[in-house]
Amino acid sequence: MQPPIYYSKAEYIETDTGNKVSRRATIAGPQNIILGGKTIISSGAIIRGDLRRTGPGHAVVISLGRYCLVGESCVMRPPYKTYRGNFNYYPMKIGDHVHIGANTIVEAAQIGNHVEIGRNCVIGKFTIIKDCAKIADNTFVPPNTVIPALSLFAGSPGHFVEDLPESTQEMVEAMAKQYYTRFQPDPNEPTPAPRR
Amino acid sequence: MPPSIEFYCPCLASTPHPPPPHLASSSYSFHPLHNLFFCEECDAIRCNRCVMVEVSGYYCPNCLFEVPSASVRAEKNRCARNCFMCPNCRNTLTVVPSDPPDTGAAIVNTVGEPPFFLYCNHCRWDSAEVGITFEKPTGLAAQLQKYEDSAPESLEFERLKEHYEPHLRASPSTGPAAPHSHHTHTNPITAAASSALARDIPGVGKYTPHSSSVGRNRSSRNKGNYNEVPDYRARVEIGSSNFTMGGGGETDVDLMKHLEDMSEIATLEQRWENSWMTSLQTGDLKPLRIPLHSKKSKRCPSCRHILIKPEQKAQSVRYKIKLVAANYLPAITVSLPHLYAVLAAMRKPGKTPQLSDIESTMHAGKTYSFQLSFTNPLYDPIQVRLHVQRSLPSSSMAEDGGGPSEKRRPPFSVTLPSSAFPIAAYAEAWEYEDDEEMFGVEEDDFDGGGGGRGGGREQGRGRTKTIGILERRANVTVIGGEVAISKEARGNIKFNMLVSYTYRSDDSEPSEEQSTPSRAQVQNREPEMKTFSFYTAIDLGTIIPREEHKSDAMEY
Ligand SMILES: [Zn+2]
Ligand SMILES: [Zn+2]
Ligand SMILES: [Zn+2]
Ligand SMILES: [Zn+2]
Repeated sequence: MQPPIYYSKAEYIETDTGNKVSRRATIAGPQNIILGGKTIISSGAIIRGDLRRTGPGHAVVISLGRYCLVGESCVMRPPYKTYRGNFNYYPMKIGDHVHIGANTIVEAAQIGNHVEIGRNCVIGKFTIIKDCAKIADNTFVPPNTVIPALSLFAGSPGHFVEDLPESTQEMVEAMAKQYYTRFQPDPNEPTPAPRR
Repeated sequence: MPPSIEFYCPCLASTPHPPPPHLASSSYSFHPLHNLFFCEECDAIRCNRCVMVEVSGYYCPNCLFEVPSASVRAEKNRCARNCFMCPNCRNTLTVVPSDPPDTGAAIVNTVGEPPFFLYCNHCRWDSAEVGITFEKPTGLAAQLQKYEDSAPESLEFERLKEHYEPHLRASPSTGPAAPHSHHTHTNPITAAASSALARDIPGVGKYTPHSSSVGRNRSSRNKGNYNEVPDYRARVEIGSSNFTMGGGGETDVDLMKHLEDMSEIATLEQRWENSWMTSLQTGDLKPLRIPLHSKKSKRCPSCRHILIKPEQKAQSVRYKIKLVAANYLPAITVSLPHLYAVLAAMRKPGKTPQLSDIESTMHAGKTYSFQLSFTNPLYDPIQVRLHVQRSLPSSSMAEDGGGPSEKRRPPFSVTLPSSAFPIAAYAEAWEYEDDEEMFGVEEDDFDGGGGGRGGGREQGRGRTKTIGILERRANVTVIGGEVAISKEARGNIKFNMLVSYTYRSDDSEPSEEQSTPSRAQVQNREPEMKTFSFYTAIDLGTIIPREEHKSDAMEY
């Protein structure tokens, strides 16, 4: 059994649906961001919900599913392009049980369920990552890349390395749920009154 | 390196015992549990190295198009849509018009101006460099395939096929051959090939299974069955001096002689993706149609029952049949309690260290405790017994060729509880329960089988127990062991451990029986106990040698 991962209680805000968001994370345009529940946004992460499609009204810019992890100092930024002369941002949709390692930059258009992205990666604009894929640490995925289900990508530029085992879905789901359970407030921490 | 455990697949070997852990072959025989399969028919573990693999569908890894097998043949296993790989860096290429992006803001024509070419937005290679441009931005694959198909080797291969086609069709045993015969040498293609080899290359006939007949046929033609096929004359001599490049002929030698810059030669990896021999020069690399991927079914190599059968849809991650070892064998994880203390000390706000960040922490001449956590996937409780395989006295110690002392002690000795211990049955609900609620009443006896849940968390409040059952909760039992490292030891603490578990093959609770993922095979009415054994290899990490030996070179 892996030991708990302790965090400082003062640092994290827990929402009604069990999301845990670090106060040290930068959440821009929170009204345009959806967190599915039991998702962790770590210290130093930057989530750019403010970069929205031009036009009136609300728009979901970034949505994350359940049991996701946005690692320390990650940058999540919606993809953009100029189409027929108009510059625009496009939404980023991320499924359930998706872990993104520390210091990774994500500009993907779509990430499926049960996806593991390593540390220090760059996931280029409009990348599509299908279910149960895995991106190794330090991978550079160029813009517009498609990563098929159950495949491991690595390198710079990232390319297919091998097929992942048939039981990847169960493994990643168990890992993601376990991680959430292990992620606990430090019981030994002297509790200074948090600024509200 | 965090400690690790892998499971042994005998791969139909005659002996059930795995190779000793210090041999190189050991790493090929052990696999993570989640990469293994289980054949109920044979009651045996299977792995990717021994299963029979069949393609159940093809798709393009870039456009994700599912390609029917008829097209796969015609299109030579590559995508026939607009999917191309950069020959320089393997990134996906984009079709771009020749007009560079205008200075004016409005680009009205979305298609752009011809000629079109393929461009890599990663390394900036473009196909115009090698003289490949297109009039229209569509149907590029067909044009590229025309070029590929005109390669001399490709033409030669087509002619060979044509040449043998009538003979193959006439032969009675052609067509969908029985899967059982794929290893025998009697199918007409192999026969024709070996006959041709024997005829054309002196001496080869001697080593083929049909040596005697073929050997004789060489001198007196038109006797045997094989020689009904007329002689084939090659049109091009591959690799000869007059042939262009990449075949290892004079042209290549000449190129190498005058080479001034290493980067002029394409790397092996860059040339690897080609179907045919290509020029050695980087400047000659052509864009590649992206090779297709496949979904695979897997069968038991012994009884041929299907172990893995994916759903048809290419991007579906579901399976119609999935017999994985994780549903049959207890999952085991290894941990070193002292590592967590190290981890905790490394923790800083905003930075969570990971186990992989830690180098070796175990010193020679010391004793460490380790923990094995067993998780039962079965709907029945099991009893587990552990046995450490004796490591040969001359194992890793002999290799360092160190001091003169001949009779050295083994580099380390492992102590594990010798008696059997129980693991409670798996139940769906436990998956979601909170950890805290699962600790039952404290209970010291180890023999509390019969599916008793609960158990002591940490035994003995005064001193901490290190060997034996440390914890029992839900379908998890944690076992403590100890490793004593000798003073002279070095290398890795790696040993083989035999795990035997006993399960009740006939269940008294009828409602549970249906859903039991395994072991529901009908036995007698009597509750019968069955035992399954498998080997694991445990690697606790690298030993830090003692100070005085620090000068000696270590393994890594
Ligand atoms: Zn095997
Ligand atoms: Zn394609
Ligand atoms: Zn490139
Ligand atoms: Zn079998």
